[in-house]
Amino acid sequence: MRFRLVRYFVLTSCVAFLAVAAALVFFQQQQGELFRSVQSEEAKFFGEVQTSFADQQARSARRDLLAIHEGGNVNLTRLFANTLWDQGLSALLERAGEIDVDQCRAIPDGQNADGRTVAPPEKKACFAEIGAQIRALPEFAFLNDKVYRAMHRSSVFKIKVYDTRGVTIYSSEHAQVGDDKIANAGFLGAMVGTPTSELTHRDKFSAFEGQVENRDLISSYLPLYGQDGDSIIAVFEVYSDVTRFVDRINQTQAETRAAQASNLQSIAAASENSQLLIDGSVKRLVGVLLGLLAVLFAILFLIVSRADRLLRQHEAERSRSQQQLAQAEKMASLGQMVAGVAHQLNTPLAFSKSNVTMAMEGMRELSAPVDIAARLAAITRETHDDVVTLKVAGARRRLSGMQLRGSDVDDMRTMLGDVLGGIEQMSEMVTNLRDFTRLDRNKTVDFDLNKSLRNVIYVARSVIPTTIAIEERFDDAPILNCNVSQMNQVFLNLINNAAQAIGKDGSITVSSQVTADAIEIRVRDNGHGIRGDVLPHIFEPYFSTKPKGEGTGIGLSIAREIVENHGGTIEVESTSDEGTTFLVKFPQANEHTIIDLAA
Amino acid sequence: MTHAAQPDSSQRGKVLCVDDEPGILRALDWLLRRHFDVVTANSGEMAMDLIRDNDFDVIISDQRMPGMTGVELLKAARQLAPRAMRILLTGYSDLQAVLASVNEGEVFRFINKPWNVDELPVVVGQAVGLSRTAAPRVEDEQEDAAPQRLADPILLVDGDASVHQAFDDALEEVAVTVFHARTLAEALEVLDREQIGVLVSEVRVGGFDATRLIRMLKAKQPEIVSVILSGEHDAETITSLINQGQIYRYVPKPVRAGYMRLVVSSAQNKHRQMRDNPELAGRHEVEAVPAWQAEEMEQDLARGERRRAGAPEPASGVGLLQGIVTTFRRLLGR
Repeated sequence: MRFRLVRYFVLTSCVAFLAVAAALVFFQQQQGELFRSVQSEEAKFFGEVQTSFADQQARSARRDLLAIHEGGNVNLTRLFANTLWDQGLSALLERAGEIDVDQCRAIPDGQNADGRTVAPPEKKACFAEIGAQIRALPEFAFLNDKVYRAMHRSSVFKIKVYDTRGVTIYSSEHAQVGDDKIANAGFLGAMVGTPTSELTHRDKFSAFEGQVENRDLISSYLPLYGQDGDSIIAVFEVYSDVTRFVDRINQTQAETRAAQASNLQSIAAASENSQLLIDGSVKRLVGVLLGLLAVLFAILFLIVSRADRLLRQHEAERSRSQQQLAQAEKMASLGQMVAGVAHQLNTPLAFSKSNVTMAMEGMRELSAPVDIAARLAAITRETHDDVVTLKVAGARRRLSGMQLRGSDVDDMRTMLGDVLGGIEQMSEMVTNLRDFTRLDRNKTVDFDLNKSLRNVIYVARSVIPTTIAIEERFDDAPILNCNVSQMNQVFLNLINNAAQAIGKDGSITVSSQVTADAIEIRVRDNGHGIRGDVLPHIFEPYFSTKPKGEGTGIGLSIAREIVENHGGTIEVESTSDEGTTFLVKFPQANEHTIIDLAA
Repeated sequence: MTHAAQPDSSQRGKVLCVDDEPGILRALDWLLRRHFDVVTANSGEMAMDLIRDNDFDVIISDQRMPGMTGVELLKAARQLAPRAMRILLTGYSDLQAVLASVNEGEVFRFINKPWNVDELPVVVGQAVGLSRTAAPRVEDEQEDAAPQRLADPILLVDGDASVHQAFDDALEEVAVTVFHARTLAEALEVLDREQIGVLVSEVRVGGFDATRLIRMLKAKQPEIVSVILSGEHDAETITSLINQGQIYRYVPKPVRAGYMRLVVSSAQNKHRQMRDNPELAGRHEVEAVPAWQAEEMEQDLARGERRRAGAPEPASGVGLLQGIVTTFRRLLGR
């Protein structure tokens, strides 16, 4: 198949350029994505840091608040206990402790829908009953009065007191008296000596001074140690209002969050901006690269198409010059042949012309003797005498000048016989010449190659030096379907080459052989042989060992082309100083299309 | 057959004909036997034997023969029988054979096949006559002869300046006067003024055929030895130069300096022989140059001079032109 330079170049380079462009665009997008994700990661991280910082701040503010208020509550409890102990607290603890709660405790707990342990209503009612008993105690009213008076207009909203059994013996919210807190975590913590505080938000709360709404409260469970200072005799629960502080904390947190949000926003805006900038610059870069690629492609395309055009031109010129050379080779061998044949023709022509001219002159000299003989014959016919007297006085000079003898007439006949031979030679030559060129036939015919070889040898003899002998060793009728004139060209070329290899003295053997499946023609010479370094190249076109200007170097390449077009092969074997053999081999049953070389 | 070469049979010329084709030998025998003693040989080897045993006046040989070629035979015959005139019979013009026959065989004539029945006996008769006048000393014709001091001058005619330079370089160490002519007119002038021994010339000079000058010169001054130094290799030209100009050597360009020296010194020897022995010059008799060729030559000379002068008819040119034509007529005898 023909190599289509421009097409292949365009295809491959387009694919390559598209791949490069796709890779560029892909990388550009990849880079944008990466940048974007890095940016968002950063923003996210930054936001998280800020959030966690703000949360931390809020948390520590609350923790501090809790700790401060807890400390305050502890003191308050101590103060409260110290103050109230003699004024009814100890009495209430004592009296309430006398009330039995075990029967209420014995009522088993149930579970609500969430799976949490809740006291059944009868248990609550049982404890409410206990509460009512406590409230009925005179110590309760006394303590209550003291508590209300002490807590008037303070930030303490509620005070509850539990005995060590977990029963609420006092609450500033009277309804809660009697409640069972035995399972309460805060109560249990306080019972082992650990004050527990909790910051809660209450929508509604019953304070000393009635209902309050929307309050942040700190509730602290605080143990109350007995007079000995070691045993816990009760647990206080104190609710103090920290709404103001919590509001401050919340406000600070809100401010922080707002600052954080605005920071994040500006970061986002900045990153968006730089993203745009980077995207723009990457796009520009990609655009410039693609443009450069396009320019590169255009330049390469120009170069390649120019090269392609040049290649085509060279190819066309080469094939044209090869055709011309082939034609020149044909003409050269034809010219050589014509010169040889002209020389061959000259020889019979020369002696024929000379002989005929001489014979004509001889004929002129013969006319007088024939006249005399005719006269003598007439006289003989006219007279019946045996003896006739001729008077030669008048004709003496004419007769004595006659030198012609009978042998001269014989010579003349021989001369004319030579002329006839010469004419036969010439007609043989013409026949051979016609057979050699076969200008009348351009088709292929079944032909006896021996005939062709004989014909070529006849023609070659007129061209090659007379000192070279040509020997024929022919097998029976090697019939080949071939173009005869092309075959002749091949054989003449081989014989001519052989003659040139011999130079002066030597012999050429031309043999034909018919085997079961092939016809083999050998042209062997005993010349100087072909050098080993030359041998592989002899069939290449334009290869010649002759000096420049002599020989086109195309003869053997044409010979091979012809032989191969006939389905045959041509081989060479050469030994230095011993000679060369060319073997032309054709398969027997040959049904090949023969390409007409006679351009 | 009007040419009666010899009056009596003892004086009849002895001619050897050599050809591998019996038809040719018989035809030559019939053609020549009335006037000459004809001996035939069908190969070069057989001819060599005959030459050794006989004293031939003329040897006619075909060029193409199996074994020994005509040129080889004539070259050998030149040594074996220097007196015999050599004629080469050729069927077609093979340049190498023709060159070799001139330079090695020193042939008297080329005869082309088919020959002219009336002319061949005349040429052979001429050759027989010349063969008996004087025999050249073969040993003196050896080309390794040393350059001579008293050599006559050489005239080199060539339109190409580089050839003159190369020729001078080649003959640098040879003591000989070389005249240079770039045109035929200059050559004529030198020939008129000087006693030239050897003429070395190109075939064409300044666009004009120089061989006519050589032919005419040979007819008038046979002792001048002509050597052709040419880039044109045409067998036809060489044949006519031999037959009409009796050139001594034909040297194809390019030529090596050493070979040029050999040819020149050999030509000088030849000239000396002919100068010392005028009869010998007869051996180089040429065919007559037709009158129309002389006329044409004269016209060409005039044209060449006018062209060289640069103007169609310059006033000063007329005198010069007249001078050349006068020289030409005096020298070449019209």
